[in-house]
Amino acid sequence: MKRECFAETGFLGAAVLSASLTALILIFMLFLGFPLFRGGCFFTLLTTPWNPDKGLFGIYPMLAGTLSIVFLSLCWAFPLSLGASALISVIAPTGFAKFCKKTVQMLTGIPTVIYGFVGVFLLVPFIREMFASGSGMSILSASLMLSMVISPTMILIFTDTFESIPASYSAAADALGASPVQKLLYVILPYSRQGIFAGLILSVGRAMGDTLIALMLAGNAVAVPGSILDSARTLTAHIALVIAADFDSIEFKTIFAAGLVLYVFTTSLILLVRIIGGMGMKNR
Amino acid sequence: MTENKSNEIKIKTVNLSFYYNRLHVLKDISVEFPERSISAIVGPSGQGKSTFLMIFNRLWETIPDARMEGEAFIRLKNKWVNIYDRSISLPELRRSAGMVFQTPNPLPMSIFKNISFPLKLSGVIEKQAVDEKVEFALKQAFLWEEVKDRLSDDARSLSGGQQQRLCIARALTLDPEILLLDEPTSFLDAGSGQIIEDLLLSLKESCTILLISHYMDQIRRIADRVMELSGDTSNNS
Ligand SMILES: Nc1ncnc2c1ncn2[C@@H]1O[C@H](COP(=O)(O)OP(=O)(O)OP(=O)(O)O)[C@@H](O)[C@H]1O
Ligand SMILES: [Mg+2]
Repeated sequence: MKRECFAETGFLGAAVLSASLTALILIFMLFLGFPLFRGGCFFTLLTTPWNPDKGLFGIYPMLAGTLSIVFLSLCWAFPLSLGASALISVIAPTGFAKFCKKTVQMLTGIPTVIYGFVGVFLLVPFIREMFASGSGMSILSASLMLSMVISPTMILIFTDTFESIPASYSAAADALGASPVQKLLYVILPYSRQGIFAGLILSVGRAMGDTLIALMLAGNAVAVPGSILDSARTLTAHIALVIAADFDSIEFKTIFAAGLVLYVFTTSLILLVRIIGGMGMKNR
Repeated sequence: MTENKSNEIKIKTVNLSFYYNRLHVLKDISVEFPERSISAIVGPSGQGKSTFLMIFNRLWETIPDARMEGEAFIRLKNKWVNIYDRSISLPELRRSAGMVFQTPNPLPMSIFKNISFPLKLSGVIEKQAVDEKVEFALKQAFLWEEVKDRLSDDARSLSGGQQQRLCIARALTLDPEILLLDEPTSFLDAGSGQIIEDLLLSLKESCTILLISHYMDQIRRIADRVMELSGDTSNNS
């Protein structure tokens, strides 16, 4: 009895602590970024360019950089993950599928900085040679490597969704003579719509929050990118770079704007996942 | 009713044994089933009746640690086929040997789409042909009158007995030569059960039917022969 009580208090404490940490972070950022709001320049910051010489400290270029790298990385990672999880959970023979899944699980454990390394020494030179443009540090390089970082998790989420299909549906399709691909297309995919969408949104959140890949591979130029071969700076990379440089300037204030934007984006994504999850419960 | 001795053999097994990991469920079974007949398979719960049916469409193969010994043959389009021959097309085999499960398993789609699903799988897409087939199959399973006005409703909204007849209709759309039925009337009241029995008797003209049933009176009414799975299932460890 006593032990149960102890565990209950412990869990409650942990839950309260982590929940309040989340809230505290938001309050902290609002507090430190307060001067920006008071001047009414928070929204101007989001839409103006970055040009310290002229006194412009807008984070619009970083916003554009983040969005283009995230979008592009999803364009690579989503089809790849969908295909890989179809292979693992439907098409490949059991032994090979198990091997693939183990490999993917291992990939999720590799630190991001290793991917960054590989990107700097293999991908960037390759892109530079291939397109004969600039340093090779570009949106393209960053998004390709970022897709490698987010794919393993996405594959595992999709695989779980595919494998959660009720056995009776699977047996019905099999007994009616569906080939594995037909079963995938007509039974598993329609059933997994919500899971796929949830996995996609979680990956957007991850891609957006990732700092190292963009920092190491995107070149960090503070300009609105014009093509995918241009260099760009993400919000996260911006925060990392400014924090490393100085502590008390207008530049420094902008990282709170950047932080807030990231916070709001990722939180709304998580909420969206919750809502979809709730809808899924009702539909099944 | 007595067995029609002139009918040729349609299905046979030779020294068939089956194991779930160490559990030995089917023991050295060699039987033959004549075509155009209803063969009832009976036996206490857990003796491997459902397992035995899965031998003929290879549905057990995805179960981990399941293993089969011996051989099983069916005669398709008047040619003997070893069911476990590597060259055989699994989808084709399963279209020739339709199965109805112990618990109704409609797919999460509309009634119409459930029935037309096997047609879609085998590449029949011409709308009129599909419509006709669906109507015919539903009529065969005596479900048409009840669902003709709600074909686009989710199949899972049907009652248990209706779902069972839906699954029978679905198995019939491809004109299978063999029907594997796992207690098809277990979810039905006496009236619907009677309907299904009549259906099976009429299908017998074109199909070879293996029927698992717990009801002795049902077996007496419609089965041509009875195979009993019984006795000493043991744990070979
Ligand atoms: N997927 C499985 N994995 C392991 N053991 C199984 C599996 N399916 C069935 N069995 C076991 O095999 C034996 C035979 O099962 P089966 O379903 O064929 O019996 P049954 O004769 O159809 O029974 P019932 O009349 O209750 O439907 C049972 O003891 C069961 O526990
Ligand atoms: Mg059974």
